[in-house]
Amino acid sequence: MSLTAIVGVGLTLAVVVAAAAASWIAPSDPLRADFARSLQPPGSPGHPLGTDQLGRDLLARVLHGARLALFIGACTVLVTAAVGGILGLVAGFVERWPAAVLMRIADVQLSFPFILLAMTINAIVGLGLRNIILSLSAAGWVVYARVVRGEVLSVKERDYVQAAAALGVGRPRLLLRHVLPNVAPSIIVVASLQFSQFIVAEAAISFLGFGVQPPTPAWGSMLAESRDFLYVAWWLAAFPGAALALTALGVNLLGDWLRDTLDPKLRV
Amino acid sequence: MRRSRLLAALSLLLALAAPAAAQDRARTKEIVVGLGAEPRTMLGVTIVDWTTNTQLEHIYDRLLDRDPKTLKPKPMLATGWKVVNDTTWEFALRQGVRFHNGEPFTAHAVKATMDYLKDPANKTHYAAYWRQVKEVQVVNDHTVRFVTDGPWPGLIDRASLTDFLVLPPKALREQGPQKLAQHPIGTGPFRFVEWRRDDRLVLERNPDYWQGPADASRVTFRFIPEFSARMAALLSGEIDIMKDVPPHAVDAVERSGRARVRSTVSSRINYLALVNLKPGPMQDVRVRRAMNHAVDVDELIKQVLRGRATRMCGPLAPANVDYAPVECYPHDPARAQALFKEAGVDPSRLSLTLDTPSGRYPLDKDVSLAIAAQLQRLGIKVNVVVNEWGTHLDKIKNRATGDMFFLGWGPALFGQGTFEPLFQASQTYASYGNNKVVDEKIARAVKIVDEKGRAAAYAELQKLLRDEAPWVFLWQQHDLYGVASHVEWSPRADEKVWMYEAKIVAR
Amino acid sequence: MRAYFLSRLAQTAVVVFLSLTAVFAMVRLGGDPVLLFMPMDIQAKDVDEYRERLGFNDPLVVQYGRFVGAALRGDFGESLRYRSDALGLVLERLPATLLLASSAVLLTLLVAVPLGVACAVRRNRLVDHVGTAATVLGQAVPGFWLGLMLIYLFAVQLRWLPTGGMGGLAHLVMPSIVLAAFFSARIARLTRSAMLDALGEDYVLTARAKGLGEGRVISKHTLRNSAIPIVTLAGLEIGQLLGGAVITETIFAWPGLGRLTVQALLNRDFPVVLAAVFVTSVTYTLINLAVDLLYGWLDPRVRLRA
Repeated sequence: MSLTAIVGVGLTLAVVVAAAAASWIAPSDPLRADFARSLQPPGSPGHPLGTDQLGRDLLARVLHGARLALFIGACTVLVTAAVGGILGLVAGFVERWPAAVLMRIADVQLSFPFILLAMTINAIVGLGLRNIILSLSAAGWVVYARVVRGEVLSVKERDYVQAAAALGVGRPRLLLRHVLPNVAPSIIVVASLQFSQFIVAEAAISFLGFGVQPPTPAWGSMLAESRDFLYVAWWLAAFPGAALALTALGVNLLGDWLRDTLDPKLRV
Repeated sequence: MRRSRLLAALSLLLALAAPAAAQDRARTKEIVVGLGAEPRTMLGVTIVDWTTNTQLEHIYDRLLDRDPKTLKPKPMLATGWKVVNDTTWEFALRQGVRFHNGEPFTAHAVKATMDYLKDPANKTHYAAYWRQVKEVQVVNDHTVRFVTDGPWPGLIDRASLTDFLVLPPKALREQGPQKLAQHPIGTGPFRFVEWRRDDRLVLERNPDYWQGPADASRVTFRFIPEFSARMAALLSGEIDIMKDVPPHAVDAVERSGRARVRSTVSSRINYLALVNLKPGPMQDVRVRRAMNHAVDVDELIKQVLRGRATRMCGPLAPANVDYAPVECYPHDPARAQALFKEAGVDPSRLSLTLDTPSGRYPLDKDVSLAIAAQLQRLGIKVNVVVNEWGTHLDKIKNRATGDMFFLGWGPALFGQGTFEPLFQASQTYASYGNNKVVDEKIARAVKIVDEKGRAAAYAELQKLLRDEAPWVFLWQQHDLYGVASHVEWSPRADEKVWMYEAKIVAR
Repeated sequence: MRAYFLSRLAQTAVVVFLSLTAVFAMVRLGGDPVLLFMPMDIQAKDVDEYRERLGFNDPLVVQYGRFVGAALRGDFGESLRYRSDALGLVLERLPATLLLASSAVLLTLLVAVPLGVACAVRRNRLVDHVGTAATVLGQAVPGFWLGLMLIYLFAVQLRWLPTGGMGGLAHLVMPSIVLAAFFSARIARLTRSAMLDALGEDYVLTARAKGLGEGRVISKHTLRNSAIPIVTLAGLEIGQLLGGAVITETIFAWPGLGRLTVQALLNRDFPVVLAAVFVTSVTYTLINLAVDLLYGWLDPRVRLRA
């Protein structure tokens, strides 16, 4: 394993551990407001990373934010992989008009920048955690569909698959036993690369005002709020931003390593 | 060797392209104002929007102005007014005033303006405000009469806001509204130079202004939507004036040495509406009074707003010309508990929802969260729902908010503008209504022409509404402006940001 | 060739039409826009009257029909916020965004590609490690955070650059960097791996054996062949620059299309949102088309299968 892979795995593990153990590591409740102690700088007693404008401990909020980030990332990845994967399988397998329609819809979506699409959806369905996952998923399933379809198309041509089909093996069985195992690595690779993209996208959408709302500690909305305090309390932007960047970094590197081991020809 | 020269050349290039420094602007007497949005049109009395009107007021004049200290109406394009009879007001107009294109200002301009804004084809927002005016009569070149369909003492209040910016009749006729909306002409202290959409609006001094030329030779409005970028521009000296510096940033601005913070108590009020328009605990007046005792307004002002708000105890604030003092609800958790008990409500089992916008009013979201925390001390569970502004308005209109919502209102300069829209169930943004006594009292009060009688009626209304506790009465905002050190300008309670009043002092 | 072109154009039209329909449905169902454009102390009946006059009370199908009819004539209606032609507003802002996107692409070409090449050629040496670190960070750091930090450092503290707005060259520097960051990082990494692959090919060995200088080996042979995957990915991603512009324009007060779209969404200014969607889709699709054509020119083996 190369250096970058080790760094990737390490960072990702660190984030997962932080998220899981947040309640124990955090010095105090991330939701508890204490006005008298607002905007304390890092290093203040009891608040190693400082406090925010309502006196809530920043370290606690960053750690709990890790939970939310992983949750959002995982949910969106699962939903998009499932939806996109299934649709891609169907489109690749059943090559008639459903496939064409699907790919046209995919084109339509791709003709629109990801962020704008997610934002538009949020402007309609409203704010909040559930809706963010919804909009990110709606904007992100396309990549899976395309990749999976491509894989399915190429796998279908392979000798043993054709042989099995000629022997009368039913479609579902073909799908499960032959196609799916070949497609799985691609899905995993794309998922890991998209994970960090989704987390950053959520942050961007919250930044623009459409995302997860307070008092839930999410890095994106924490960064959005920190704008107002940029010249007074730099730590409110620095630490969530660093956490976000490091998480994205770790997951990205992990994804790269997975790609290198599982499926090097996939240059997504 | 080559690289260092390249670097030097690049720095020189960047330096040349760098923005005009604040010192240069002080010498040439230019002011740059940073705003969060651009104007929606350049034509007066078309669209109601604070940002638009703030900029338009530099090009157009109002019929009457407001005194910056007392906030009472005072002469501007009209030099005097009197009541002829119950349905007729007469205005004496200023002589010797010209529009930027040379047209003289006469009673015909006033008539043309009213005709324009009332014409349904123009779809102006102001038609609704002037609904009670049946027609405008030109008596002679410098006298004009407004004929209303019933007694309307509030007409003077309306005429002294941006609800009547005078348009040039000849230009309106010849060029049409569409062209004027791009290249405006008015009687104001500044002339239009250019409007680069989404970037800046540039105005230059009108040397023939009837009040005397402005000190500033040039006023530029720059549109910077991102708040932190606006702050950055103020701190780096790129802009000279910025509205809504948050309380916690005051020190940073003062320390920068380039700007100071100037504040004023605004006429804009903030309140926590207790919704009685649908079934719920807020329909019981005792619960509403308990809420007023439960929320510690002074703590909110001190801790969340850093002292930057002036507490108010009734529906109107002192900045309102129709204000009458009422008794405050003291912070008294014991009294709150007693009232809850009387109403048969157990606070520890109470679960309420509070809707709030975010970033619309100073620290609105943080105040709402703080209120939730305060109510938590009595055991009440409060779910704070943060809405995007459009959604917030929608919810209020559709009565789809929770039991409470946070809102602001302003500039709240006269009683009718607050009572009518906020305390009657038929109104869009009301949170309280269905009280026949209140409805009737409001309907009567707005028609009383006699000043003393009106004042008494409004005082009675305020006391009544204070007892009804439709809101948790919060405060008047403090408007905090960042002002560059070389600019002398004092903010006004009516939120009028008028560069005519600004003076540039060379350092 | 021409048939391909025409069929792509037809496909573009279908795609744009479908996106418009989707956005129309979403935005219309999303909530009442009229309230946002009216002053708060307006009477309820005036709001209704206004809504009636704008046609918002008609059934959705009727509104849709009206919209399609008008759109075919290039008329997207009047902006609810500004009262001027919606399509006109959008087209006014487009050049600014294109300028920003172009300078980001230029920056990428001037910085990312040489960086990728350098990393490949000096593989596993210091240059490679530093370069890889930079690119990986570039992909991980959120654009808006980078923007805010840059403003803080270069505009407020050092006062070398303006905080935002459009103006001279200095105004273009920070926004371009922020917009290009993610894109450049990807391109740099891709260039590196494409170059590495190309450098391992037989013809390179042959060229070296022939005694050709390293410089020529790199520029003439390998770079040309690596260009294809680079262009492919660049093509796929370049449209995303339009999306990234949204955040960059907001932070730097750049008067472009992205900023207009965000504001229109926030303000529920339907006509402008629809006009913006239209222009964005068309631009995006045209860029993709251009990339495809470029791709075909670069690699004669891949002649365009319609």
